[in-house]
Amino acid sequence: MSNERILIIEDDIQIQNFMVYTLENAGFSVEGAVSGSEGIRSLIQKKVDLVLLDLGLPDIDGMEVLHKIRERLDVPIIIVSARDQDSEKVAALDDGADDYLTKPFSATELMARIRVALRHYYRFSKEREKEQPEEAVYENGGLRIDTEKHMAYKENEEMHLSPLEFKLLLLFMQNQGKVLTYQNILHKVWGDGYGNDTQVLRSVMASIRRKIEKNPAKPEYIQTEIGVGYRMDEK
Amino acid sequence: MDKRRELLLDIGKLLLTVTAATILGKFFTKAGFQEANIVVIYILNVLLVARFTHGYYFGIASSIISLLSFNYFFSAPYYTLSVYDSSYLVTFVIMLITALITSALTTKEKLLTQEAMEKGNENQMLYQLANNLSDASDIESILKVTIESVGRLLRTDIGCIYIGKSGTIYFQQIEGELVRQKAENYDEIEKSLVRLKTQYRKSARAYEYPIRGQGRLLAVLKINGSLSEEELKGKSRLLHAIIENVSLALERIEIMTEQIQDRQKIEKERDRANLLRSISHDLRTPLSGIMGTSEMLMDMTDKQDRRYCLIQGIYQDADWLKSLVENVLNLTRLRDGEVLIQKEPEAIEEIIGCAVAHVEKAFPDREIDVQIPEEFHLVPMDARLMEQVITNLLDNAVKHTKPDEKIQVAVSYTRAEVIVTVRDEGEGIASCDAPNIFQMFYTSKTRSSDIKKGIGLGLAICETVIKAHGGTICGQNRQDHQDHQGAEFIFRLPFS
Repeated sequence: MSNERILIIEDDIQIQNFMVYTLENAGFSVEGAVSGSEGIRSLIQKKVDLVLLDLGLPDIDGMEVLHKIRERLDVPIIIVSARDQDSEKVAALDDGADDYLTKPFSATELMARIRVALRHYYRFSKEREKEQPEEAVYENGGLRIDTEKHMAYKENEEMHLSPLEFKLLLLFMQNQGKVLTYQNILHKVWGDGYGNDTQVLRSVMASIRRKIEKNPAKPEYIQTEIGVGYRMDEK
Repeated sequence: MDKRRELLLDIGKLLLTVTAATILGKFFTKAGFQEANIVVIYILNVLLVARFTHGYYFGIASSIISLLSFNYFFSAPYYTLSVYDSSYLVTFVIMLITALITSALTTKEKLLTQEAMEKGNENQMLYQLANNLSDASDIESILKVTIESVGRLLRTDIGCIYIGKSGTIYFQQIEGELVRQKAENYDEIEKSLVRLKTQYRKSARAYEYPIRGQGRLLAVLKINGSLSEEELKGKSRLLHAIIENVSLALERIEIMTEQIQDRQKIEKERDRANLLRSISHDLRTPLSGIMGTSEMLMDMTDKQDRRYCLIQGIYQDADWLKSLVENVLNLTRLRDGEVLIQKEPEAIEEIIGCAVAHVEKAFPDREIDVQIPEEFHLVPMDARLMEQVITNLLDNAVKHTKPDEKIQVAVSYTRAEVIVTVRDEGEGIASCDAPNIFQMFYTSKTRSSDIKKGIGLGLAICETVIKAHGGTICGQNRQDHQDHQGAEFIFRLPFS
């Protein structure tokens, strides 16, 4: 993972220092910007592999920066936000951001998010270039899902999942480590026109958790992101 | 004194007019006028006496004296009270009756006028009083207005003690001079006057009239004791009206003051909440920095290294501070009613999962047992706030237990609500703390000193949030254990 360039757009110098230090330690080459316009400028000047974007910037609204980047580039964008910006966070994710971090976050979390975002990005671009078919089998810890046989296993034992449960679990297995918003999941599993009704989603989640987790209230696989959606941890 | 002088004066007036009438009568006879003119002069004399003396008696007396004078001076035989011509007797009778009726009518008319004037004056006075009272903007000016009015009415020294919720104010006239005094044992006065059945109480030096408000003694009106009870009785109707007016005015001022105080209190509270909020808000960012950096340092340090512990301490303190800040922010938001709770159908197990994960991360040596039923319901709630509630309850449990004492969260459903129980095996709730645990800024007095001090916000927030959701929360020592070892907090949220 060396020599990938990461652009940090964050006006809080302390947080910026912390991120620069962590990422440089991990071998990335890092660029810092303290305002939206500065961030967009450096994006145009040099190729960047990933953007960390604070939503609360002094000059331009973070959402606008996100839209401006998305207009020209499909580079992974990770949102950095304060805790009380739930709705903005979700809007950003629905508008094309890849993941988010809530302040305060640890170096471990930061690294994990970046790794996942980069991996997804590379896989997608590879798939697009070579027109590789999607993988047939996905694994995570004790879970395995076989799309060809349409079977799901836990510790090598078959799990009996309803079609919706299967579809939902598959979506998580394909997006390990990545946050999926309610909107996102509803759109991908239930299809368009289902609207914003998350109640069915929550019920299906509850029953999946009862099948895959030892204790559904202390999930090991699928974590709840309150107010945002769900994320499957990589084992 | 005055009465006797008045009496003497009236007698003088009587004698003067009778004499004048007689002398005039003498002139008339000399001038050869008829006797009827003399009778008319005497009737005029009676009328004047009745008009300018006090009471009926002088009118009657002047009627009789006039008759006798006429008999004595003007009917033959002159200068005796006997008569020759018996027709005079008829004249006498008619004259007497006319004189008596004239005197009676005049006196009555005079009394009526006097009464009307007095009434007019009283009304004028009451009107003036009401005006002055409604102009008064504080208790002191009401007392002054009252004293002045009553003083003018009774022409004696008046005092007035206001008995307020926060103290007394006492003004007293001493020979017409208004003096501010210290209220003497007003507790006693209050006690003796509260149950008073009569209109006033007489003590050695003063008459004391209670001025009552709604269900409370507002003030005491003191009237100089040298005044006679008859005089007071004469003014009792007016005094009663004055007291009524003063009571209304006092109550008006009290309500006004209370409203102003309430408003000031609300403003002060709002200012404080705003300050608290902005400070908390500004604390967040640097705290995030401290937590992030210390976590990074932890990542970079070997767990055996002694420095690891130190850094972990920094992290835990920062985390504690941050949860405090979040609590303050939530509380100020809730108290303001600014952010209404945003209720969505939520799975309580998800929220418990997040809270447990957070607490276990902050206290890596603790494991929290979570029990949820197979059954599943969505319950409307504000997920963020509910996470805070459960986190607070768990934090509390961690604080009050040793690492080997278990902490458990259990969920169950009834037909209409979800019940969440957080129980531990710790020291439990001391009986002296039990009634106060949900109070804001209450911290246990019995807590051992090594436990990190809270500022008593956690449970207050829990209660506020749960109540705002239409639910209930209670804290007690465990009922499922024989020896009631440990504490349990149970909250219930309705499905709708």
